[in-house]
Amino acid sequence: MKNVVVLVSILFVSIQTHGLEPLSAEDLSAVSGQGGVYLSGDITINENGGPLNIDGPSANGYSWQTSCTTASTDKRCGGRIAVNSGAGGGWLVLDNIRGRFSFEGLTLRTRKINSDFDGDGAAFNSDVFEIGLPNNLNYEDASFTIANSNSARPTDAGFMQTDIMTVNINGKANLQGNLLIFPTGAP
Amino acid sequence: MMKKIIISSLVAAPSLLNAGLVPMADQELQTVNAQAGITLETSSHLTVGDVTYTEDANRLQLQNIERGSQADISLPSSSKQVVDVLADGSLQINSEVYPTSLDIGAIRINDSAASFGQFRLNYSGTNLIKVGASSSLDNFLEGSFQTSISDAELIWTTNGSSVSFDDIGYNANITRLAIGEAVDGSRTGLNFDLDEFSYSFSTGGVKLGGVSLGTLAGQLALSGDAQIFAGGRDGAEGISLNASLSILDDPTNYVRFTDDGNSLFMGNFSGALNVTNLTFDVMSDHLLLGYDQLDGSFNANQILIGDSSNPVGAIQLDFLFKDGNGYSNRMAFYPGIRQPVYANLPVAIQPYATSFYSGLNSSSDGISAAVEWNLANAEAAYIDNGRMVVVSGIESYGRGDLTLDVRSFDHDNNAGTADKTAIAMGMNRVQGSYSIDGLRVGNKTAPIQGGAELLLSLEVFQAMDFNLDGYTLITAGGVSGGGIQIDGDYLFSDTNIGLSIDENGNGVWATGVNYDIHLRGIQVDVSNTGLSVNRTEQWSTMNVDNMRWGDKITGRSLGRIQLERFEEGSSLTINPGGSGAVCVGASGDAASCAANGGRWEDRGNEGMTVALKAAFAPEGLTSDGSIARNRLTWENNRDLDGSGNPINGTGTQIIFDSYSTSDGLGVADTNDYGFQANLKIDVYETKVAKKFTGADDNGIIGNQGDELIYDDASRTTYTYVANPTAAQLALRPQGFAVQGNVSFKDLQIDQVQLKHPDVALPQTVFSGIVMQNLNMTTNLTATPIR
Repeated sequence: MKNVVVLVSILFVSIQTHGLEPLSAEDLSAVSGQGGVYLSGDITINENGGPLNIDGPSANGYSWQTSCTTASTDKRCGGRIAVNSGAGGGWLVLDNIRGRFSFEGLTLRTRKINSDFDGDGAAFNSDVFEIGLPNNLNYEDASFTIANSNSARPTDAGFMQTDIMTVNINGKANLQGNLLIFPTGAP
Repeated sequence: MMKKIIISSLVAAPSLLNAGLVPMADQELQTVNAQAGITLETSSHLTVGDVTYTEDANRLQLQNIERGSQADISLPSSSKQVVDVLADGSLQINSEVYPTSLDIGAIRINDSAASFGQFRLNYSGTNLIKVGASSSLDNFLEGSFQTSISDAELIWTTNGSSVSFDDIGYNANITRLAIGEAVDGSRTGLNFDLDEFSYSFSTGGVKLGGVSLGTLAGQLALSGDAQIFAGGRDGAEGISLNASLSILDDPTNYVRFTDDGNSLFMGNFSGALNVTNLTFDVMSDHLLLGYDQLDGSFNANQILIGDSSNPVGAIQLDFLFKDGNGYSNRMAFYPGIRQPVYANLPVAIQPYATSFYSGLNSSSDGISAAVEWNLANAEAAYIDNGRMVVVSGIESYGRGDLTLDVRSFDHDNNAGTADKTAIAMGMNRVQGSYSIDGLRVGNKTAPIQGGAELLLSLEVFQAMDFNLDGYTLITAGGVSGGGIQIDGDYLFSDTNIGLSIDENGNGVWATGVNYDIHLRGIQVDVSNTGLSVNRTEQWSTMNVDNMRWGDKITGRSLGRIQLERFEEGSSLTINPGGSGAVCVGASGDAASCAANGGRWEDRGNEGMTVALKAAFAPEGLTSDGSIARNRLTWENNRDLDGSGNPINGTGTQIIFDSYSTSDGLGVADTNDYGFQANLKIDVYETKVAKKFTGADDNGIIGNQGDELIYDDASRTTYTYVANPTAAQLALRPQGFAVQGNVSFKDLQIDQVQLKHPDVALPQTVFSGIVMQNLNMTTNLTATPIR
């Protein structure tokens, strides 16, 4: 995976990668003539359950179907991701994934860096795909459970799962800076 | 120099119904009064062997023409003409044609082996023509015309199969047509002035092999003028035309396609069309049409898809076709089907091209065309509840070969069932390019901005250089009743796609793209809720040689990306209406949204909803026997060939192998739900907050978090405002507001693998990833960055 360098330039946390220095606010304002998109909004996961809760299958004593509301605590109402790192081994599970994220000012654009970055920009002289991080990122009951299971689906025969921990996030994060994505190395 | 029209053989059998009359005596004539004009009733059967239009020694031949009764074309048909001189001195001809058939057996050029096909028109109708002295010295004569055709049928037949337009009703009323002299420099010709031309039509059915695709109807009011001159674009003879045509701004204008009682409707439209030096020439083996410039505009204020209570919004289109970029606007039409040189086609499409043309030879009927175009500029605006987004600076040019015929087609790949009649369209070596400069938001004169990336969700790319070969078969019959079915094979080869680029053409490019697409049983219907596309089966492979950053030729490459897709039972619906009222950033209604931390937005009743269901199938056999799957491969560190280009397959790869959807129990389960993505799209005001304190790109100063507010409705200048008033909120930037929902029951990736070029088989990183029960809703507003 050495082929792609993903450069995160957080204005308050300076990460020096490939010799680039983060742009100051003044440098950012000097960028002109570039297109791009400004995004605001929210992403809500399984607020009222998922499609399996409506008419999902039942097998081996497990039924997906249940009534889900925003206040439901039934873990069947969340999304589920199971990953198997070795054939015949167990599954790492992120279970009961739910919550809302809202943000203002996520920007997407491509631009050429050929100046600034404490002089490194001129040497870099290439295009980057820039993800401008949103100033505000709000979490509202964003939660998931980390678990292990012996098979992928709860409807599998002999399914067993051990929940390890549940993470729940509420609050606001302030994010500033840009995520720059560009290729390097041999294509 | 004018052309020659020769009728080489004519056999007519007219019989005047009043034949055999004897002269009236003077005494008898004295008793006749208040009679005027001449009534001529005829009954005739007409056959003409060949009508030839000769230009520069090249002949356009209409052959085997026959006119007779609709019941039996070999019998005479009847008509009546009443000719009067009116009190104002004008001549009036009132005609009535009883059910008649007109058949043209073939249209050839210079005795070509192949013909454009056979054409037959069944009709009955009336005409009222008044011709009088001109009110202006500029005109030779003036007149008015009324034509009405009813119960007509137009049939085009090639190689024994037909497409027909049934039950055609047609009314045209020209209040004033004046004919005079036109002068263009040293040329003189005829000038036609057309005032208040109202026109309506309807068809009972557009039919293939007797099965209806749907019905078509429309009405529009026109005015215009045209000047016709002798002399074309090639040689000494030919025809050229300058014309201006206006579609009058009349709320009753409409065009409507109806399938099973549900309609696609465009109404209340207006527009203009101007063409300069439109030429017509007969060449040695083709007809040549060309023009120096074609410009115009088109505005449609009412668009309905199925649901007549829910409008989509309005569209406005301005365009200019003009020679440039080394391309001209020319169309050469050849009789018959000109098959491509198969060896010159990309290898991947050759078997499909060979199969498509396999039943045809050099004498098969049909139409072939060599086309070349240059769209110098176009502006396409979409207006949703009064809010406008303009896709600005659309340019395109290219050339290629097309074929069109009607044929018999084994639509279900089953020899045991009856074949269907199909319209067959071939595209060979179509090489072209298009680009979009950017967006204008709010009005047509607002500053151009980036942000055409917003169209990616609709699979509209910012720029594209393409080579396309494709073969399409259209048969009648969707999922129910009318509608159409599409089967096709397509290959985009050596293509560059601009995914996110700036005004200089730099950005993220997918280059060296080879994209083969195979569609089977794509059924398109209009329902009472919208337009639905049922995709029975499709498979494709998109290979991107280099995903480049920067310039499309020299930009740094991320490596090669290959996406293989295999879907069975997928669908797409397009419905009118967007998201309506939504609470962005929280839950709640109009009263509680703000208190819950959200922003209440009433986006109106217009807009559009696109609902996609992709049923990803497990690896398996396609209907043409090949193996297909869903797989994503990323490769880099490739070896280089002698020219320094990376060689695919020689590098390291990460492979997301064989992903598929199911209804919850894995690959053995049903796959009715698939992967669903619903997009409700509106144009709406967007809150744009300043990201940092200080001056922005344009030198406008503001504090972090202040809102960008335009100064007035022209949306050209702006300031940053800490607490905008209600009036200022209406001057927020506008953009696309998308309420999206992505959901699936079960999405499985069989394995994630890594492959080193030194090992024969890839090594597995993850033996399986299973994602279940996801329902993700987004409320996103997206506006171009200033």
